[in-house]
Amino acid sequence: MSPDINMGLSIGLRMAWRNLWRHKRRTWLTVGAMIFSNLLLVFLISLQFGSYRMMIDNTLKSYTGHMQVQQQAYNDDPKIRHSIDGIIPLARSIRQQLGSGMVAARGVAFAMTSSKQRSYGLQIIGVEPRFEPNVSTLPGLIKKGKYFTDNHAEEIIIGSVLARNLRVDVGDELTLLGSGRDGSFAAGVVIVTGIFESGIIDIDRAMAQLPLAYFQALFSMGDQGHNIVINASDLTLVPDLEKQVANIVSARKELVVLDWNVLQPGLKQAIQADMTSAWFMYAVLIILVAFSVLNTQLMSVLERTREFGTMMALGLKPSRLGALVFTETFLMSSLGLALGTALGTVLAWYLSFVGFSYPGMEEMAVRFNLPDRMYPSLSLLSIFLGPGIVFACSLLASVYPALRLFFLQPVNAMRAV
Amino acid sequence: MKHLLVAFILCLFSLSALSATQKPRDLIIQAMNHWRGQTSYSEITMTIHRPDWERSMSMTSWTKGDKTTLVRVTRPKKDAGNGTLTKDNNMWTFSPKINRIIKVPSSMMNQSWMGSDFSNKDISKSTDIVDQYDHSLLETHEENGHRVYVIQSIPHEDAAIVWGREILIIRDDYVLLEQQFWDQDGILVKTMKAREIKNMGGRTVASIVRMRKQETADEWTEMSVQDIQFDIDIDGSLFTLSNLRNPRQ
Repeated sequence: MSPDINMGLSIGLRMAWRNLWRHKRRTWLTVGAMIFSNLLLVFLISLQFGSYRMMIDNTLKSYTGHMQVQQQAYNDDPKIRHSIDGIIPLARSIRQQLGSGMVAARGVAFAMTSSKQRSYGLQIIGVEPRFEPNVSTLPGLIKKGKYFTDNHAEEIIIGSVLARNLRVDVGDELTLLGSGRDGSFAAGVVIVTGIFESGIIDIDRAMAQLPLAYFQALFSMGDQGHNIVINASDLTLVPDLEKQVANIVSARKELVVLDWNVLQPGLKQAIQADMTSAWFMYAVLIILVAFSVLNTQLMSVLERTREFGTMMALGLKPSRLGALVFTETFLMSSLGLALGTALGTVLAWYLSFVGFSYPGMEEMAVRFNLPDRMYPSLSLLSIFLGPGIVFACSLLASVYPALRLFFLQPVNAMRAV
Repeated sequence: MKHLLVAFILCLFSLSALSATQKPRDLIIQAMNHWRGQTSYSEITMTIHRPDWERSMSMTSWTKGDKTTLVRVTRPKKDAGNGTLTKDNNMWTFSPKINRIIKVPSSMMNQSWMGSDFSNKDISKSTDIVDQYDHSLLETHEENGHRVYVIQSIPHEDAAIVWGREILIIRDDYVLLEQQFWDQDGILVKTMKAREIKNMGGRTVASIVRMRKQETADEWTEMSVQDIQFDIDIDGSLFTLSNLRNPRQ
């Protein structure tokens, strides 16, 4: 780079910077709009990412898990006969080969569950008492009584809403009546040993768990079960772990490994739908900012018509003047970007510790499996996605004012009012 | 001679006029009465067929009037003693394994009965169709020397019934040949069909009936009647919860 061009660049930059502050108030107003929208975008997008993360975590950790090993027909057609042979030894071997405790076998069946007063049709889950707490948050959410420890015990754990509906308490009896795997009658009497409260209405109302060995005896399952739940330590590690598990069970052709996306297709769809609707709002915000930049820059070009005419008469090329206007916008947008993201990040960072809630949020949160406080989740993407787009759109808005300079006639321009 | 001929022709005429004006609702009532009698006792084997397995169960059943039924499983040994009692659209089930009687809640009435393709409702409310539906005669035709009536029954607007309509095919001797269950989108869901008709207990009845889901061709449940007796003397105490628990008969 020759010193001449270098100097030219710095002159251009210095001129642009000085031009900006010829109208202090106007520049600050435009920058203010950018700061405000960037702050809002950083905060909202971080909050959104945070709530999605929580939605996924809470939903998956309460029951589904990150992935499951199933008999291949089970996911499309969850019938009691689509089961896995020797499920407890298989779960044990996966546990050993992965070196992870977050593996638990389950059985699923349907039964009519009756107390003295009421009856409900329920999905009954057989779980391994020792390993279930590693893959699900439910065992830790027991509000009354305790989680079972004996794999053969004739005991049941139910949700708080179900307990209220059945009008039973810890220590009471429930009878289960359904069909076994061979089509025979499955009937049993169990004692309620624990009542959990997850805050997720669907689970609290319709979930009941039995120890797996008793479950197998009750439903004539032999040594079989329906799925093995496997959790990764973090959501981002799921694809790798899925490959490892698929490798371990590859010898058994009837088995498949399904990740949470397949098991809970509604979850990702709900997130995508929410994201789309949020982006409509963001687009309005961004377009308004872009127009305010366009307005400012157009005004500043028009009011300097005589000045630009004189400069062109002195031999300055229109491209140089266009670059000047563009640089002015660039500087202004950078200022908005820097201040806006900084303020937004500080706000979101603060709230990611203390949490955030607003009146009436609880009702909605329960519906989406969210806790009653939300915590924004900060990442490079959540910080720079919104402000980056505002920045790009502002630059785009200065194209029109800059282009106008190419059609300026020096003599006419110098005579302009 | 001439008079006799006229009388004969008149008689023929009036007979056909009679059958043409058979009300569809009456036909259905007749068919129900024909099948159940005032009282009945029957021994039935139920076979549940699935693509990869099959299972048979034997049971004894008693009926009285059109609203009371007691069914008790006799075979296989594992399930013997299980029973259901139906009385005025209420259903109770008893299982000797837990020695308890449980009332089946109305929310469970559309669930499968004993793992079969029959629902609890199919078993308990078999005469609902008379009162809760509007009936119309779709067509009549001759088949094997019998007149056959095809009746469409559409549930009343306010009736708590999952079906959009049912189609019943009834022979002139009141044997129910076929019953189709259509959902509210006009799709045929399942069909119950008589596969064997013979004389039993002094009546012509469908002795083998198969219920088949439309979607899955290879899944069905078959009821085959081994023995049936009509209008026998049955003590009212048979249809009580205490008898469901402790069979006296």
